[in-house]
Amino acid sequence: MNAPPATPAFSLLGTTALLFEAPGAFDLEAQQRIWALAKEAEAWPEIREAVPGMKNLMLTFVEPPQTLDALQERLMAAWQAARPLARSGRVVELPVVYGGTGGPHMADVVAHTGLSVEQIVELHSAPLYPVYALGSHPGYCYLGGMDPRLATPRRKVPVMSIPGGAVSIGGAQTGVSASAGPSGWNTIGSTTMSFFDPAAEPPAALQPGDMIRFRVEAVLR
Amino acid sequence: MIEILSNAALATVQDLGRNGSLRWGVGTSGAMDDLALAAGNLMLGNPVGAAGIEIPVFPFKLRFGADCAFALTGADCDARLDERPLLPWWTHRARAGEVLALGVPKGPMRASRALLCLSGGVDVPEVLGSRSTQLRGAFGGFEGRALKRGDVLRCGHDGHGRPTGFGLVPPALAMPLQRDGIAAVRVLPAAEYLAFEPASREAFWNRDWKITAQSDRYGYRLDGEALRPIAPMELLSHGIVPGVIQVPHSGQPIVQMRDAQPSGGYPKFGTVIEADLWRLGQAPIGSRIRFIETTWAQAVAARDEARQWLAKVERMVSLHCSARGAR
Amino acid sequence: MAGEGRTDGVAALQRAGRPVKKTDAQREDIARWLAGTDIGYFELRTPFETLRFGAPQAHPAPTTLRAASVGVFRRAHPLHAAALAPIGEPVPAGQAVGVLQIGPLLLPVLAPVAGRVARWLADDGAAVGFGAALIEFQETT
Repeated sequence: MNAPPATPAFSLLGTTALLFEAPGAFDLEAQQRIWALAKEAEAWPEIREAVPGMKNLMLTFVEPPQTLDALQERLMAAWQAARPLARSGRVVELPVVYGGTGGPHMADVVAHTGLSVEQIVELHSAPLYPVYALGSHPGYCYLGGMDPRLATPRRKVPVMSIPGGAVSIGGAQTGVSASAGPSGWNTIGSTTMSFFDPAAEPPAALQPGDMIRFRVEAVLR
Repeated sequence: MIEILSNAALATVQDLGRNGSLRWGVGTSGAMDDLALAAGNLMLGNPVGAAGIEIPVFPFKLRFGADCAFALTGADCDARLDERPLLPWWTHRARAGEVLALGVPKGPMRASRALLCLSGGVDVPEVLGSRSTQLRGAFGGFEGRALKRGDVLRCGHDGHGRPTGFGLVPPALAMPLQRDGIAAVRVLPAAEYLAFEPASREAFWNRDWKITAQSDRYGYRLDGEALRPIAPMELLSHGIVPGVIQVPHSGQPIVQMRDAQPSGGYPKFGTVIEADLWRLGQAPIGSRIRFIETTWAQAVAARDEARQWLAKVERMVSLHCSARGAR
Repeated sequence: MAGEGRTDGVAALQRAGRPVKKTDAQREDIARWLAGTDIGYFELRTPFETLRFGAPQAHPAPTTLRAASVGVFRRAHPLHAAALAPIGEPVPAGQAVGVLQIGPLLLPVLAPVAGRVARWLADDGAAVGFGAALIEFQETT
């Protein structure tokens, strides 16, 4: 992992959005400050949407401002003032079949971490994972709290399609796919759950503040 | 009303994109050539963001089930209405029963996607504020999927009483952008730009990049020199937008396009500016592109230039149509 | 034109000062000869009479197609190399035979009837004023 920046970093995503990356350790409290910052920035007139990532925040513009200095100053001040925003949510338990055809990259995680399949399953299913942010595809949850011993770099060549329900590890993070699509993560198991319904209010089944526990349904070789 | 006569054409209903749902992991989607869609709508007197049909694979055929006015913009694809040749970037009137046939775009300046706008817009339900097709989530547009033979789509109205039979000078001619004779797009450096080797940065701006066959609405995979980071990078997942140029471990860049997922974790070299996304959206598979380094001020000015072109189009079309006695 | 032999006879009679009108036989000769040509209408005038064979058809004069507005005249669509209607090539009524560019807008110059472009009256790419002559268009009969 890269050393986290000492001060917040601002960067551009074309003229469409600004990316704010927070410094310091990556934990729930840092993410809660990102949630607080998102809530504040969303109300600013030039911001179309404030989208939390993992210890970072993307701000999309209604119209790109002529200059960025004023916005960056305001964002910096808001970050410094941001208090962790506690969000109480529910706990959702997902039954996971680890390994087998639903976990095609388990061997790569074994090879990189030096852990056995049993150890990987135990470490992966132990924590209560807070939902830090949604992204990637409709209903997909980025989870915090994965044991760092499981960290495995993203794949050199992304896989063209992994199915919905795929439980994967990418770098220091873990997550569950909500629908079939390409992925650069290492898939170690599969689960079943409906994560998104466009007609529902809200359309995503899980929100930042909710928590996921992976229950071991089976471990296949 | 139209009936699709072709299969496997990857044609989708798109408008100018779905905003406000990035927080649910829903990307913006929308027309790969937003300028062509907007212009087609303006010619028909539609709201600029009305839904149209994006057609990326040819030949393509459909039949009009009812009288309809339509506009064909984007790729010049030798279109015919019941065998009558149609001028490109033009509005036409169709009678019930007539068949619209699009051929294969040809020529050195060929574009890759045609946009078909219908009078009143394509009438499909709005989902999460947009009529664009969300392919990954399988919702929006026409049943959340690409069109296939037998699909019937309604348009808002028959376009009666509004003049047709006029056209526009395509933006590729009105606002050309090339480097050394190759189609070019402007790029703003992104967060990890300086984390790449100077030789890689130099190569990025100075060489051609080929759009490989593994390119689609999600992203364009480019073939060229591998871009090398100074040190290996593993980033936390963060928001991205269409235009972001990611560099995975292989070093071959991927430009995220309209169906890009709204977040990613690969290092970001730069972002193709919003104002030039339509150029990239029209670059054919196998063609070469160049990247031009730009500044914030230049990128904002480019966006203004595109807006002004659309405003001029709207003004001229309105003048012409009112002179001919319509709204 | 009538053969030399026939006019010699009429001329001889004229020199002799005799009033001459065509006899039925002579008229038939002329008619028979005309039938073997593509002449639609033949009028023969002498000091004594005027003979007409066939029916006069109005040979349409060419039409001048004019600019409906100030703009730039183009013989081809900006995306194409070839002219919309090359000189002499038949086009149906209503087909575009040129375009007029006004800013971003392109307006067609339409063939008023079935026919062909006989002559260009404006250069390709020329800036033209309202009413400027663009194309000499010949109706086909």
